[in-house]
Amino acid sequence: MGESNENIQFSWGNKRAKGGAKMDTQFYGSFTFDNVKYSLYDCVYLFKNGEPEPYIGKIVKIWQQNEAKKVKILWFFTPDEIRNYLEGPVVENEIFLASGDGTGLADINPLESIAGKCTVVCISKDERNRQPTPKEQTVADYIFYRFFDVGNCTLSEQVPEKIVGLEVNVLLNPEAEQVICYPDQDVQGMNQKVGAGLVAPLPQSAAKMEDEIPVAPFLQSTAKMEDEIPVAAVPLSQSVAIFLPPSVKEEDKAQVATVPLPLAVEEDVLKPTQKVFKRTQSTQKVFSDKMPSKKLKLSQDLTTKNMPSKKLKPSQDLTTQNMASVPDVKVRPVPSAELPTRQADRSKWFKPMPWDEKLPLADKEGKLVYIQNLDIRFGASEIVELIREALQLSCTAKPINHPTYDDPNNGKAYVVFKSRSAADEAVMKINSGLVVGGRPLYCSKGLLKVPKPASGALVGHLTISNQKMNPRQREEQKKAVSTSHCSQPNTIEYDLALDWMLVREKQAMKFSILHKRHAGERKSFAAKMAK
Amino acid sequence: MATSDEQAQNDQQDMKDEQQAHKDEEQAEKEYADFEARVKRTIYIDHLSPLVTSQVIKASLAQCANVVSTDFIQNYTIQYEIPAAALVEVDNESQARAAVDLMNNFPFMIGGMPRPVRAVFAKPEMFSDRPRKPGLKIEFSWVKQGDPGYDGMNKLKGLMRRQEAENMALIKNQLEEEKELAVQQQETLEANSNKYGMLENLMNNGDITKLAQHYKVKLGDD
Repeated sequence: MGESNENIQFSWGNKRAKGGAKMDTQFYGSFTFDNVKYSLYDCVYLFKNGEPEPYIGKIVKIWQQNEAKKVKILWFFTPDEIRNYLEGPVVENEIFLASGDGTGLADINPLESIAGKCTVVCISKDERNRQPTPKEQTVADYIFYRFFDVGNCTLSEQVPEKIVGLEVNVLLNPEAEQVICYPDQDVQGMNQKVGAGLVAPLPQSAAKMEDEIPVAPFLQSTAKMEDEIPVAAVPLSQSVAIFLPPSVKEEDKAQVATVPLPLAVEEDVLKPTQKVFKRTQSTQKVFSDKMPSKKLKLSQDLTTKNMPSKKLKPSQDLTTQNMASVPDVKVRPVPSAELPTRQADRSKWFKPMPWDEKLPLADKEGKLVYIQNLDIRFGASEIVELIREALQLSCTAKPINHPTYDDPNNGKAYVVFKSRSAADEAVMKINSGLVVGGRPLYCSKGLLKVPKPASGALVGHLTISNQKMNPRQREEQKKAVSTSHCSQPNTIEYDLALDWMLVREKQAMKFSILHKRHAGERKSFAAKMAK
Repeated sequence: MATSDEQAQNDQQDMKDEQQAHKDEEQAEKEYADFEARVKRTIYIDHLSPLVTSQVIKASLAQCANVVSTDFIQNYTIQYEIPAAALVEVDNESQARAAVDLMNNFPFMIGGMPRPVRAVFAKPEMFSDRPRKPGLKIEFSWVKQGDPGYDGMNKLKGLMRRQEAENMALIKNQLEEEKELAVQQQETLEANSNKYGMLENLMNNGDITKLAQHYKVKLGDD
């Protein structure tokens, strides 16, 4: 669509069958978008219809038809979305896979609406589900073991046979272990350091474990640490690297408990390890600073959610969570606030903040941008799409032209971005030269100053200040404020009202002349430019 | 590789998906059609007093239309104090027409006198919650410094700003005009009120009969 789209990398992966009524649909098994490879059944973040928060879903079909690239997305629900149907506690980072039949199960979206990959691990104890390794669980952005039936609105731990016509096993954990690879050299280097730091405490915890796990290999690997670092070879994600030393990775299935708790180090005081511990901490800090850059494409909120700094501090919680069966540990209470009765339309499950509350808040946080010279026909969703395609930024928008007073040649809107920096970037870029349908946009930050709605009477609503008026008459006049009527020709107010109607017509005429002239000026300017 | 059986099943699923994609499009169109129907049964009322509430509007239109919802337009862009305005949805198009006719053919006053309200049929652009218009293309391009159109673009932006300022100036001018008329009418009204007060006095204290006698005018029917 836009020119700027050309610089987003895209290529198809392996082809699958052709299909469709006219055999004009080509299906694919994978694709690479913005240098990230996506395959069928991958979990992804999506921006949809101007929703501020990205949705999470699973790709269940990829195809191209008439140049349009489409993906079919099976949805995940967040606890907030199905709050009314939730019973009992929710595990940290738990989401729910849609199942059953009905609205909200799956939707077809433009492929470009995919915002990034999301790691979701199924921890269902069902035999069809390959049990996730603790490492996978640590890396995971979200976990799920319950299914939300969109037809009858029930939650179930029972794994259904099929969802959207697919055998359920392809929707659970894939056969091969998920390894997230960040091809960032710096991070690899970091991993080495962290690995070196963290393996040290291991012998102690391992020593505590009497069964099965031989202590020797660990000591050995520790000894080897300096020259030949195993972790460097394993492309782990940062957070994994911090919690799981490489040696543990090999023992995944045996015992999760070998995951060393940094706290354990403090208990059994060993001089060398303590030093190491300190080092680890500083590395952790480095990581939490570094992290956001990794997931820039996600919304800010999500980035914060995923930032290791948050996970790192309560590291004990996290580690325990890995060990015990999940439903029993680290539960967070479900907010008891009631949503209105559930509706089929997914977007209505959220209750958005009213705009007049949202605007000053966004203004205070520096996220509000005022855009002018839009096409008056653009509604909120057109503006959101424009911003997404032109700037690759997500936002919410509201057209704000006043029907009586604003020039219809000049469409205006408020746009709320995710962050101050996104808003600043947008203002800079738009003002540098974004032309939409022949209209150069211009914008500024912050809320316009407009007077508060007047609390008194309207200009032109008169009162008679007659001292002699008796109380009953005054009472009647007061009441008249809340009444309405058509004035009859034999009254004083009829004459006065005619004056107003005359003024009104004159004003409407003036506006229409001015706005027509403006439109003409624009047209002749465009014609001149075209020459 | 998929066996032919699976292939058939896949195809079936694909067909369904295709249908759904088609349905999505249809749904967007339907949503817009619904919206257009809503536009048709909505009227836009302005020059309203800020004291007017949705109940007042409902009551005032009761003689010709049943008000379903009232949405007051918030002023986000005009730096002056402007009258209130609202989008009022009624039961159907004919009620909307009746209401507009009533308010345009007569000075219709709500919540104060004598300045009447004005009503017109609503237009899609008046709704800030309007859905996506099917088929409306969003085409954009970037113009950079040094591009042939760059200077032209900046000139055009200048023109837009000037137009915006002109519009604002006209609004200011009109609001002042309204104020002037209001002051003038207040004076007229008070003069009238004094006149009637004087007449009332004459009638009440018997001066009127003295005057009638003086000028030899017959008063009333007697």
